[in-house]
Amino acid sequence: MDAMTGRTATVPAISAQGLGKRFGRIEALADLSLELSRGEALGLIGTNGAGKTTALTLLQGLRRADTGKAEIFGHPAGSVKARRHVGITPQNADFPEQMSAREVLTYAAAHFDRPKPVGELVAAFGLERLIDRRMDGFSGGELRRVALALAFVGNPALVFADEPTAGLDTGGQDMFKAYARAYVEGGGSLLLTSHHWDEIEHICDRIVMIDRGRLLLEGTLDDIRRKAGRNRISFTAPDGVSPPPWVNELFEQNAQRWSTVSADSDAVVKRLIADLPALQDVHIEPLDLKETIAQLQMERTI
Amino acid sequence: MAILRANLALTFKRLLRQPGFWVPTILFPAMLYAFFGAQTAGGGSAAVYAAASFAVYAVLGVAFFQFGVSIAEDRQSAFAVWQRSLPARPFASWAARLCAALVFSIAAVALVLVTARLVGGLHIDAAVQVRLVAVCLILTIPATFMGTALGYLASRHSVVAMANLIFLPMAYLGGLWVPPPALPAQINAISQWTPTRHMGEVAWAAVDGRALPDASIMALLVFTVGFFALTWLAYNRDRRSRFG
Repeated sequence: MDAMTGRTATVPAISAQGLGKRFGRIEALADLSLELSRGEALGLIGTNGAGKTTALTLLQGLRRADTGKAEIFGHPAGSVKARRHVGITPQNADFPEQMSAREVLTYAAAHFDRPKPVGELVAAFGLERLIDRRMDGFSGGELRRVALALAFVGNPALVFADEPTAGLDTGGQDMFKAYARAYVEGGGSLLLTSHHWDEIEHICDRIVMIDRGRLLLEGTLDDIRRKAGRNRISFTAPDGVSPPPWVNELFEQNAQRWSTVSADSDAVVKRLIADLPALQDVHIEPLDLKETIAQLQMERTI
Repeated sequence: MAILRANLALTFKRLLRQPGFWVPTILFPAMLYAFFGAQTAGGGSAAVYAAASFAVYAVLGVAFFQFGVSIAEDRQSAFAVWQRSLPARPFASWAARLCAALVFSIAAVALVLVTARLVGGLHIDAAVQVRLVAVCLILTIPATFMGTALGYLASRHSVVAMANLIFLPMAYLGGLWVPPPALPAQINAISQWTPTRHMGEVAWAAVDGRALPDASIMALLVFTVGFFALTWLAYNRDRRSRFG
């Protein structure tokens, strides 16, 4: 049995099959199936209007699916039993302006059996200065920090974070990344949507990409990189050394640093060493998520 | 219980920290009574009737402005959507809203009675005052459904104007500002078909020491069922459009 949810540990945090939703003539989501295990972070990515928020609202039970079904720890999505295990960051941090952040967090905490101490979240999200102030004077970023704390205050086993750091400064983004990763490593499950792909890369174990409501790509970051089959090669050419013409054609130069993306990095590096023995500081790195997806799209693999 | 307490705290803090809500809601009926009711009634039983009329007016004001306006504003807010993700049924939030309506209604009615004493020099028997307050609390039921239906039908941008557009003519037509015998004959004829007239009849009977009129009780039951049905339809329409 799982201490957080009281369910057998084999029941997934999220299990969704064939979810579909139309808004009039627009098909917002079609036949989406996904599963999220306990202690796993899943990144849901896609362009604006791809269907991420629709998928999230169906999984949260805030809207009804036209087709398919979703369960949270074995309970129907949206049921009170399911909601007992769920924390959500509101996408629009639109709080009652007459209330303080502490009052809203205390209000939310009262709905859960074993909430987190508000003090822990104050420290985690940098709310020390704000916690007892009424929220009518809060900036967008400050409200966003309160929204992040709200998702975790119930000590939930599953958190839905829909673009949680939109409008947040880099300090706040780093706080969220650190807290979310520690939450997942501590056994929590996280479904994250974000346009900050470095955030997805840092936090998530697995990625699902959707486009126009349909599943486009699914796998771990390594799986996806393997699918792209490319690495970034970079090196420094010392002063006075001019690389041979093939390097000029293949690589991009930025000051003394040269870089390219290649499907056969070993062969390229061997040739480089042979033709340019003076090169320094050679790096072969996997592409980041943004580059990987761009590569796959360029090759029309997805 | 913890959830109900949390909802009560949230509801009362939000309302009490908005003087723009509670000052007019509680003060206006007493103020209008002082300006018009006490003067026109001229003391005696007419002034007691006027106090009862403005007490009903106070109950209506709370229903329209607390339920009507706050529901319309809340239901389109992201916070209200987020609240739906909390593990609780809507009962606690509704109970907190109803509790606040009762408290604000009692405060508004009490202030009308205090004003009647201070400005009109009225000495209303304590038992009659208790009877009037009790009747007003019962009248919060149809009034609440009226306000709630409005809250689910109007948008947040139009609700204040719509509330005033319904609330003020209803108060006039119901004979709450001008006693029914003094209303023009045609208006008086229309008045018989308004819920506010029957609310007034019940309140006037309460201060008069008469039995509550059966016809008005029946009419109010019909209005309550009707407004409940309208609220239910509007609530489901709103739910389908936002969460369907």
